Amino acid sequence: MAKVKILGKGFSHQNELKFADAIKAGFPSPAEDYRHDGLDFNRDLIRHPEATFYGRVDGDSMIDAGISDGDLAVIDRAVEATHGDVIVAYVNEEFTIKYLDLSHQKEGYIELRPANAKYQPIRISADDDFEVWGVVVWTIKPWKR
Amino acid sequence: MYGIIDCDNCYVSCERVFRPDLKNKPVVVLSNNDGCVVARSNEAKKLGIKAGMPYYQLQEKFPGQQVTAFSSNYELYGEMTGRVVSLIRQAAPNYFRYSIDECFVNLKKMETPDLKLWGEQLHQKVMRYVGMPISIGIASNKTLAKVASHFAKRYPGYKHCCLIDTDAKREKALKLFPIEDVWGIGRRYAAKLKSMGVLTAWDFAMRSPDWVRHTFHNVVIFRTWRELNGEDCVPEEEMAKKKSICTSRSFNGMISEFSDLKTHISNYAAHCAEKLRQEGSVASAVSVFIRTNPFREDLPQYENFVEYPLYTATNSTITIVKACTQALERIYRPGFQYKKAGVIVMQTSPETAVQSSLFDLNADQFDKLKKLDRVLDRINKVNGTETVVLGSQQYTPKTPNGKAEVFANVIKHDFRSPNPTTRWSDIILLK
Repeated sequence: MAKVKILGKGFSHQNELKFADAIKAGFPSPAEDYRHDGLDFNRDLIRHPEATFYGRVDGDSMIDAGISDGDLAVIDRAVEATHGDVIVAYVNEEFTIKYLDLSHQKEGYIELRPANAKYQPIRISADDDFEVWGVVVWTIKPWKR
Repeated sequence: MYGIIDCDNCYVSCERVFRPDLKNKPVVVLSNNDGCVVARSNEAKKLGIKAGMPYYQLQEKFPGQQVTAFSSNYELYGEMTGRVVSLIRQAAPNYFRYSIDECFVNLKKMETPDLKLWGEQLHQKVMRYVGMPISIGIASNKTLAKVASHFAKRYPGYKHCCLIDTDAKREKALKLFPIEDVWGIGRRYAAKLKSMGVLTAWDFAMRSPDWVRHTFHNVVIFRTWRELNGEDCVPEEEMAKKKSICTSRSFNGMISEFSDLKTHISNYAAHCAEKLRQEGSVASAVSVFIRTNPFREDLPQYENFVEYPLYTATNSTITIVKACTQALERIYRPGFQYKKAGVIVMQTSPETAVQSSLFDLNADQFDKLKKLDRVLDRINKVNGTETVVLGSQQYTPKTPNGKAEVFANVIKHDFRSPNPTTRWSDIILLK
């Protein structure tokens, strides 16, 4: 069967073709249409690689949110933090993971709410120099080590 | 138009991303072995801490001041600046990275109507994504872009981006710009110019071409004069910092194999070492960079740049080639089509001033290597270049793998920060 050499450029926008340096002339393989690259967490779950950082949960302050000690958090700094997001902030010289509660903004403060009755919310007044460090987009929980 | 983009107080800014409590506080980063200050926050600069000041003097001269000092952590700086360059590449595909924290971009084919806004937005994006402040200077040539970048850095009003795109702006900027800060004018020439009444970049630009040629007999100075007057004549490769030598090439086609890249890098390294010996100087650090073709958006993109300290300043071909191939091992990733690679040897100083590091494992080999290089140079001079080369320079290599020696472990670094972006053991803890 004759082989046709594909020259890179004309097909350049089609990702799948990078494996197909030679295709057969004649009937196309029926599997051809279904070929895709494998699933890849780095490619599919990380939307902003340059803005993505990782953290390890230390403690049980978010236990009722299903986030436990030792879980891995994927933090995206490119995502805009909105009310109710799980965020990472730097407070009292440490990184903390909490719910962002913006419901009291009109009263001049916001709260970082834990998901555990044992902990108090952290209140931050509008005058404080405060920044959301990043938004937690995934947590990864080990079940077996 | 060209843009010069650099990270503001790069090393300090990297450290601050993971220590937000140090915002607005004096912070310094120390050289290898914690010898002296290599990077300062603006607050540290205001205190009067000078670059190069020995660390022990810091404690003596600024008693009672809360100055936070970090050992240099190139692993962290390399990874963080890689993120910055990746964002720059997306904003301006025609870029050339010439140091760990500086990039120059060619904006000629950009279809952005408002380059000032483009720059401001790039700064905002990099700040938000990576936490790194950058400054951008844009002008019709590289010398003027450097001038613009000074203004972008110094005055907050520019919002991190200064654009010199008219003659009026050029005149205004150059009149405010001290001659000694002009890129390409060395300290010696600046002193001479000042003694002749040339105090600002504008004073210099206003002199006649004949005056410049007859006073200096120096092509570089004349070129600087032409650029200050708006011409575009400095080539890309000369962007690399003063006191550094850069050898880089775009490949004919693309390369994906480590062994092929290694051969190229070895040759660039050998070339740099030879140049060092020709001018009688030694380097104390090498950088290696590799990158894919940013114009092939269909292909996966990767670029990296790594700085690798040489623990004893050297111009030995063997040592420099070895350091460069080790550096390449650290940044090479399989599965990419590489288009360009380069070697920069940095912080060069005269050979006579070499001090061997206390921690250098190869101190006794120093003389042997020197003799070897002398023989190498003589043979290559008599019998033609590259008559004798290192095995790794040959374009038909046998095995790709050299062994990396871990000598970073014997270097003193008392205040080194963790590596939250490159080691799982060091990722930030979330309370």
